[in-house]
Amino acid sequence: MKILPIATRNVFRNWRRTLVTTLAMGFAGFIMILFASLTQGLLQAGERNAVAMDLGDIQIHAPGYRDDPDLYTLIPNPEEILKRIRGMGFHATERLYGFGLAAAGSASAGVQVRGINISTERTVTEINNHVMEGAWLDDNDPKAVVIGRKLARTLGVRPGSEVVFVGQAADGSMANDLFRVRGILKSVGEEIDRAGFFMIEREFRDLMVLPEGAHEIAVMRPDRSSDLEAATKQVAAAAPGMETMNWRQLKPIIARILDLADAQIIIMVVITYVAMAMVILNAMLMSVFERIRELGIMKAIGVAPWQVMLMIYLETMVQALMASVIAVSSGWALSHYFQGNGIDLSSISSGGSFAGVALDPVWRAYVTTKAVLIPIVFLFIMTILAVLYPAVKAALIQPVKAIHHR
Amino acid sequence: MSRIFLVILCLFLICQSNSSPGQEDDSARKRAREILRQVDDLWRGSSSHSIFTMHIKTAHYTRDMRLEGWSKGKDKTLVRILLPLKDKDTATLKSGNNVFTYLPRTDRTIRLTSGMMMSSWMGSHFTNDDLVKESRMEDDYDPTISFEGKRDGRDIIEFTLIPKPDAAVVWGKVVAVVLSDGYLPLKFTYYDEDMNIARTITFNKIEMLAGRLRPTVMRVVPADKPDEYTELVYEELELNIPIKDDFFSLASLKRR
Repeated sequence: MKILPIATRNVFRNWRRTLVTTLAMGFAGFIMILFASLTQGLLQAGERNAVAMDLGDIQIHAPGYRDDPDLYTLIPNPEEILKRIRGMGFHATERLYGFGLAAAGSASAGVQVRGINISTERTVTEINNHVMEGAWLDDNDPKAVVIGRKLARTLGVRPGSEVVFVGQAADGSMANDLFRVRGILKSVGEEIDRAGFFMIEREFRDLMVLPEGAHEIAVMRPDRSSDLEAATKQVAAAAPGMETMNWRQLKPIIARILDLADAQIIIMVVITYVAMAMVILNAMLMSVFERIRELGIMKAIGVAPWQVMLMIYLETMVQALMASVIAVSSGWALSHYFQGNGIDLSSISSGGSFAGVALDPVWRAYVTTKAVLIPIVFLFIMTILAVLYPAVKAALIQPVKAIHHR
Repeated sequence: MSRIFLVILCLFLICQSNSSPGQEDDSARKRAREILRQVDDLWRGSSSHSIFTMHIKTAHYTRDMRLEGWSKGKDKTLVRILLPLKDKDTATLKSGNNVFTYLPRTDRTIRLTSGMMMSSWMGSHFTNDDLVKESRMEDDYDPTISFEGKRDGRDIIEFTLIPKPDAAVVWGKVVAVVLSDGYLPLKFTYYDEDMNIARTITFNKIEMLAGRLRPTVMRVVPADKPDEYTELVYEELELNIPIKDDFFSLASLKRR
């Protein structure tokens, strides 16, 4: 028997109902693809801000530095370690941290000074592209600093303003100097936004009287899809006696949130699709009841119950297939649009943060295979479940009763 | 300088003012206050001018500084660095509860925020808070005499100072030991709120200074880092000299 042509013909017999059902399924799929892409976009931005702006994939510290960030807890031989890590193909840069007070006019605020090697930092993070106003640091402009946006607001400074830094240098003297604000960063995370005070490494060493060592080495894998755990082990081997951790260990909360993202999308998908399944169930049940006599005759002329069931399923699958085409084409198109043109939430909020990582006020979607596949796969799964009852019902029709129906 | 000095020295030693004639005080308590007032008066004066050196030793650096200080009343202090040359003319002004620092290298004056109060003053074991807190100390402690007699061959009086319940004080208690003869301070021990020793200040080298015998060397040792210390050595001290109020202004902070 040619079940597929019959099923296809059946689908278009009541084309209005088919249209409504297909559109409902297609719309649910479309919404879910958009939702999944936007969620992926949000998390991607969060991870990007955490890893690509600040942490890097892997960090090396002297033991104890993370618990007590003391100016004297240094990695004693950063050059050797950097050389070894770079030899393995990783990107790596050294960083220096200090604390002190920044003052501009009558305003002052506690700051975390960061001494950055700007030529190697740009191989590890993208913070040099994350400037909101002004420009990033330059080796030819030593007395310049780039600061976090909340700090800029606290101090009331703009690019070009003067800022005084006072702190305690490594030799016990008063580290103090006058700097010019060269740039103000976009939101990165609580720490940098509130206290980030970036300067070039040479200037930091002068200011804090710290000619050698480094507080942190940040490492980035050349291929971000490679195995992070394996890379961490490799880097750790290059820095014996030091503490090596990857960003998942450094920011476990963000890692957990990212890990839970798929589960979160699936939960939302299932909830939405339960409503959609009701529509399908209703439509298919109606279509079965309408055709009781016809189905009865089919069975009477020798169509097996499983063939009837298969027919009902094929009818639904044809609709699901059409719905998928609608969902993927429209969902992908709109998600792709939002990937290029973010939703600007800056009028509603100035950008929230989770787990200390800032979220951009412009929310962009991020279309991944998963973001498209999960909604479509679940569209089929939920459809199959929803049609189970009408299909069984149709399969079990008794020909005699059916023919005399009504 | 004497603010720093006083801070450490007499911070807690000030008795309540005469305005409340303590009828309720028993005679021992009254005597404790009387002695402490004398200890305090030893350093206080209505105004002062001093030159002193500060030796700082920590696990990471040693540092010698020579400083000049002026004070008037309880809440005006100006301290200026004379040496080393790198920090010369760096000055700290305390006026009321505000602390300002002048930085000659940048020619800027900054006001210290509350967040900076517990950080080190000029790299020493004193905090900025030590400078500011001083004026409020007299209201903050209840003194009792906890020991009187011979100890280590010297007649001493030991006071235990307990902060008043509503006092904004970081210490759990302070034990002050003074010589019975002349009421010169010997050793102050500061306890944290869990009653563990937080730091000790010892006074040495009793010499003639500003017309009478006073300890001229004062050494602060933080209890958690017994190998570190900050030592203040008085070179010159003048008390009760005429200084105008506007000497303690932001303008004179910059003047040299």
